[in-house]
Amino acid sequence: MSTPTRLTRAISVIAHVDHGKTTLSDRLLEYTGTVAPRDMVEQVLDQLDLERERGITIKAQAVRMLYKADDGNTYQINLIDTPGHVDFSYEVSRALAACDGAILVVDASQGIEAQTLANVHQALDHHLKIIPVVNKIDLPQANPELVREEIEKVIGLPAESVIFASARQGIGTKEILEAVVREVPPPTGDPDAPLQALVFDAKFDAYRGVVTYIRVLEGTLRKGMRIEMMQTGKSFEVDEVGIFRPERTAVEDLSAGEVGYLIANIRNVRDSRVGDTVTDEARPAAAPLPGYRHVTPMVFAGLFPTDTEQYQQLKEALEKLQLNDAALVYEPETSAALGFGFRCGFLGLLHMEIVQERLEREFNLTLLGTAPTVEYRVKLRSGEEIPVDNPDLLPNAAEVDAISEPMVIATIVVPSTYVGNMMELSQERRGQFLNMQYEPGDRVVITYRMPLAEIIHDYYDQLKSRSKGYASLDYELVGFEVADLVKLDVLVAGSPVDALSMIVDRSKAQQQGRRLAEKLKTLIPRQLFEVPIQAAIGGKIVARETVPAMRKDVTAKCYGGDITRKRKLLEKQKEGKKRLKRVGNVEIPQEAFMAVLSLD
Amino acid sequence: MERIHSLYLHVPFCTWVCKYCDFNAYAVLQGLIPPYVEVLTREIEIAGTELPTGPFDTVFIGGGTPSLLTGGQLRQVLDRVRAIGLPSGAEVTLEANPSNITEENVESWLAAGVSRLSIGVQSLQPDALRFLERLHSGTDAISAIRTARSGGFANISADLLFGVPGVNLAAWLETLDSVLAEGVQHLSAYELTVESGTRLGQEVRTGLVQMPGADDQLEQYWAAAARLEAAGYAHYEISNWAQPGYACRHNLAAWNYKPYLGAGAGAHSMFRLDDGSTERRWNVKGPHAYIKQVSGAGHAPDGSETLSPERARGEAAMIGVRLLNGTRAAGNFPTERKQLVRAGLLIETDGQVRLTRRGVELANQVGAAFLV
Repeated sequence: MSTPTRLTRAISVIAHVDHGKTTLSDRLLEYTGTVAPRDMVEQVLDQLDLERERGITIKAQAVRMLYKADDGNTYQINLIDTPGHVDFSYEVSRALAACDGAILVVDASQGIEAQTLANVHQALDHHLKIIPVVNKIDLPQANPELVREEIEKVIGLPAESVIFASARQGIGTKEILEAVVREVPPPTGDPDAPLQALVFDAKFDAYRGVVTYIRVLEGTLRKGMRIEMMQTGKSFEVDEVGIFRPERTAVEDLSAGEVGYLIANIRNVRDSRVGDTVTDEARPAAAPLPGYRHVTPMVFAGLFPTDTEQYQQLKEALEKLQLNDAALVYEPETSAALGFGFRCGFLGLLHMEIVQERLEREFNLTLLGTAPTVEYRVKLRSGEEIPVDNPDLLPNAAEVDAISEPMVIATIVVPSTYVGNMMELSQERRGQFLNMQYEPGDRVVITYRMPLAEIIHDYYDQLKSRSKGYASLDYELVGFEVADLVKLDVLVAGSPVDALSMIVDRSKAQQQGRRLAEKLKTLIPRQLFEVPIQAAIGGKIVARETVPAMRKDVTAKCYGGDITRKRKLLEKQKEGKKRLKRVGNVEIPQEAFMAVLSLD
Repeated sequence: MERIHSLYLHVPFCTWVCKYCDFNAYAVLQGLIPPYVEVLTREIEIAGTELPTGPFDTVFIGGGTPSLLTGGQLRQVLDRVRAIGLPSGAEVTLEANPSNITEENVESWLAAGVSRLSIGVQSLQPDALRFLERLHSGTDAISAIRTARSGGFANISADLLFGVPGVNLAAWLETLDSVLAEGVQHLSAYELTVESGTRLGQEVRTGLVQMPGADDQLEQYWAAAARLEAAGYAHYEISNWAQPGYACRHNLAAWNYKPYLGAGAGAHSMFRLDDGSTERRWNVKGPHAYIKQVSGAGHAPDGSETLSPERARGEAAMIGVRLLNGTRAAGNFPTERKQLVRAGLLIETDGQVRLTRRGVELANQVGAAFLV
């Protein structure tokens, strides 16, 4: 069934995490009959188990809906669901490039948050028509009028264009769909022009190879066509084109303005790069479409199998995971303490947590992750500049001329009561105050320039806890800045544990060393012998703690009837030890490697 | 299957279930004792025909409080055991509460064939007895030992608890000395252990009761061990001491990985199969269900597990190392043995291993090392 271009729309739903974006998408699918109520599960578009469990969206998803509007026409609406968390903003950016409009969802009780602003800026960068929706108006603490005013004042969208909705109760669904067909412009592409289709995601299907998610902007993509990827120059023959309803459904062709997928026997995801342009080999487009902002990992950590025999499995798992998580980068790493593993780059802490969890769950691995760090740029006395994403690899102080660290502009949105707390926290974290702006609804937008390293160390959790959960945060990388940094080493039972090293601000190093040693003392379980823990800066010990030896572990009674139970208990104890990593002859749990994250 | 020469009989009834007790025991069900004795007798009879059992070298009647059984009931049960095979030299132990030890009972137990009494003294300190919810006094316990001895028992064991909140080292040793002064042949001293499912467990969790620290517990333990050794008792298992020739044969058999048959509610059996694997079976725990099932089918199984020869060897070593004179059960684990010797937990001599003092304190760590 083909829809004339004038009746086609492509939209995205954008929102701060938890504002009800995915629930709203569910309602749209239901209202348009795309998913029958009996097939309706919550979060239809969240396909990963992890997404449903955590109630968050990680991957962008696309779906086509048909909607019979009040004007009598049946419109084809292509909806792309996007993640809300700051870590996944690259997914949002890709999705928006494939759209003409965006539904902006704002929670009626929370109001505008840092991520809302970031999303709106991205949408405006892509020249999208924004349809503002105030969601969750049914909640007792909702204040939709105030949020509407806020939208006009802060974002500049006319208050009368704001739609009140409750995705949970289905209020406002029709009004939203009507606004989409009325306000969002139809695609401008020409179905007869040379093909230009934008790749906005790709997945690996074990049976079909790479499934490439595309939006056709010009021309028409047909089954059997020979296509060329304009960036890589590689060509393929199209086996199947299709749409998402929401499951994959083959169609004859996709023409200008339509969203869907193509399968072309592509075996390697690198041949289907996100941001690339697909064109017709026989009649190529003159130029590729503009690509995306390149995604750069911001946070780095080592991932090691607790069982060294799982190294090969981990390697294969990372390869497979990278196929549908283009933001993940990795390279082999060898740690004296932890053996063979991989140094991985992530977009943020949540991304890191999710990757580790997916690797453990989907590939049945037991992993140990080291504390995340940022990438430093180290200028050597020789004049050479090298990147350092692993504290242990920081060259000797004697060789180092200067160390620069990545800086971000952090935007915090918070009720005015907590402004003092936010400023105190940000100053403790080496933040430079930039600006503060009062907004309607008792909201304050504060901006700081601060080191990214401070943000990844527990800043977000602190922000939340010192604002009773009200503060929201967004940040953007703005470059590198020279800082006075030193390497803090940790010795356990006399041997340095490379995976516990960290790079810290010199003025705070001694205090950090003491806190780290104290924290490790509580996290390293008692062993058969006493275990000294030392923190050192440049070979000088600055703190020492001792984990006392295990005092007693003996069962008083072990008679005939107790034996099964006792054996099971000891077996369980032994199983638990497998989650510990043996470093020398000390068994160290995962939490110890993350201790540096929360030293406050 | 290896022939079975040990029998455990469980009697799950108590007048009062003490707050620290984690055994399969029930109060206020005493009306169930007569039917229980009937089906227990039946279970022994059936097992005797189905399994390679007897003659029995040891019988252990535990509980609960098996001394709640009358002389006639005990005789009925032991007669059934005798029908399978119970030579005159067999060790027949009855666990007894001091409150039940009267001249009449002693006479009838001896007549029924009981040869060894294990008396639950626990403590002689009034505060400790109150804390432990024991219904007898210290004086009752001492006179119970005397009654048993003068009534004709020549093999008496006393159970004591140390590490009881509020009992300091001196008070604990006072209890120990008074019991030893009565000339018992065997003594079990257990650290009071907090089990999560008990009322004591609840009290500790909620902070109502604070247990002594590990250092205090070990101090009481080693002080007792020194006293006992000086008094001529050999420390043959982590919590057990005996005068020469009076180690509990029934428990030694289990610790040396010999098979045993268990009968009664919640009783466990252990069989050694010809391929070297071990089978463990256990009965349903509740006395009502037990009575019903045995009256019907003649069995009351609740579960079982079979350990491969390899796992069975690990289990044998886990149990065997608790024997302080040494064991050969760890013979199949040279690597683990070497590590434990290096860690100072085991001493190896002539192919035998035994726990060091530190090894005793960390016996679970040693035992776990052998589990596959």
